[in-house]
Amino acid sequence: MLLAYTSLTLRAFASIGRSLSGRSTLRVHATFVQMVNVGVNSLPTVGLACLFMGLVLAMQSAGQLAQLGATERVADLVSFAMLREIGPLITAVVVIGRSGSSITAELGTMKVSEEIEALEVMAIDPVRYLVVPRLLAMIIMMPCLTIIGEALGLFGGWLLGVNSLSLDPLLYITRSLQAVDLKDLYTGLFKSLVFGFLIGSIACTYGMEVRDGAEGVGRNTTQSVVSCLLAMLGMDAILTAIFFFAT
Amino acid sequence: MSETKSTHALEVRGLVKKFGPRTVLNDISFTLKRGEILVIMGGSGCGKSTLLRHLIGVLKPNEGEIHVLGTDITKLDDDGLAKVRRRFAMMHQFGALLNSLTVGQNVALPLLESGNVSESIADLVVKLKLELVGLTGFEHLKPSEISGGMRKRVGMARALALDPELLFCDEPTSGLDPVMTAVIDQLTLDMVHKLGITAVVVTHDMTSAFRIANKMIMLFEGQIIAQGTPDEIRNNPDPRLQQFIKGEADGPIPLKLSRDDYIKRLLSVD
Ligand SMILES: Nc1ncnc2c1ncn2[C@@H]1O[C@H](COP(=O)(O)OP(=O)(O)OP(=O)(O)O)[C@@H](O)[C@H]1O
Ligand SMILES: [Mg+2]
Repeated sequence: MLLAYTSLTLRAFASIGRSLSGRSTLRVHATFVQMVNVGVNSLPTVGLACLFMGLVLAMQSAGQLAQLGATERVADLVSFAMLREIGPLITAVVVIGRSGSSITAELGTMKVSEEIEALEVMAIDPVRYLVVPRLLAMIIMMPCLTIIGEALGLFGGWLLGVNSLSLDPLLYITRSLQAVDLKDLYTGLFKSLVFGFLIGSIACTYGMEVRDGAEGVGRNTTQSVVSCLLAMLGMDAILTAIFFFAT
Repeated sequence: MSETKSTHALEVRGLVKKFGPRTVLNDISFTLKRGEILVIMGGSGCGKSTLLRHLIGVLKPNEGEIHVLGTDITKLDDDGLAKVRRRFAMMHQFGALLNSLTVGQNVALPLLESGNVSESIADLVVKLKLELVGLTGFEHLKPSEISGGMRKRVGMARALALDPELLFCDEPTSGLDPVMTAVIDQLTLDMVHKLGITAVVVTHDMTSAFRIANKMIMLFEGQIIAQGTPDEIRNNPDPRLQQFIKGEADGPIPLKLSRDDYIKRLLSVD
């Protein structure tokens, strides 16, 4: 599978390269359709998940911080954790479950029903036709989703802080802004970009590699979700180490 | 190069294909002249579709050469194969339409992806080709909304969209009613006689086979047991061939076990 993954990813980038150098065309319309699929349609779920995470973070930290007599620091903690870690992570988990699995299942079904073979026989490169739009859509939409998710997560923290911890609404916001700097935001977004690439490429590989009919589609979809999750969390550890630990 | 001079549209030499330990195609050799229709016959599971999948470059043989339109496709890389593939078209056994596109979009796909046809021309061609297969007015339906036989005809329309030099059809008429079968047969004949294309048709419909063939090949358990003109095939004394042509249940083709064999197998005694 690793070999198939590498070869498909290289072929996808070669195809994007050919499009950029004008030797073939990029399927712009198809890419937008996929952006709606993986991005816009995931928005409600991502938003809700991040909102809940914001509430949970605020509740969990409130207890601890109250013991230290620093309840107002809830704002610092929520915004810090949300931008650096929780936002990109929760968004990726939702997208893996929703869109990663559906990409694998869709491509796998096309493989089983000989649609991909038919494309090849018509001299249409399935990588350019199917994989590139999905991969690009993932890479573009993950940071967009993440930033909206983070906003809702921060809002969740604020809701709890203001309503249950009776913190001052404006003070909460200023504290949040002071607690984080730009680096927290852009490292989080960079992570989500890398997650988007990983999810897109892994989901497409498992889809294109389906064998043995409907059973294979089911098996590969499960495998795809598991691999995406592990790859995403592993990459998260590596990037966190690079950005915040090693330096 | 021999590319343009070759009079053969198709030349297969010593093709052998094994799936694991099983030899599915064994020493297949034949040629096909340009402008002729080759019919490949044989019982279900004898390797017809597998042979066709070799001719279109989807499967690679274990041994042998396959020259399509003058190029040995077994030695080509992806780009080279794509170049040859632009000159032929395939109608798949089950249509192999893209389920996410409408019928019209499916037929337009090869046109638009070829990169030198505008959308309005593609629209016109789609109407023309769908009309040829008797599906006028079905452009906006999805493949899941039409019958199996209709899907096949859409597959035919899609194959004809780019006016290929060489057309492969896998069982174009199985599952069609007699009238539609005649329409598709006539269409194949017209394409060949009026446009001068070459066609390879897999079928086990004998009426249809003798109606269109210039040359016939009979496959049996992965081997060619007879090839020649329709007359030669009709007069071939091979009992397996005669049984197949006449469609008789009793004969040398081992479909069922004899009563004694059956009892032996059932009780697994030798
Ligand atoms: N990918 C594969 N792996 C293993 N065996 C295969 C594969 N594809 C085909 N076969 C075997 O090859 C044989 C020929 O199959 P093929 O599909 O070519 O038959 P066919 O002549 O087209 O039959 P039908 O008329 O029913 O379509 C079958 O016995 C099948 O089991
Ligand atoms: Mg077949």
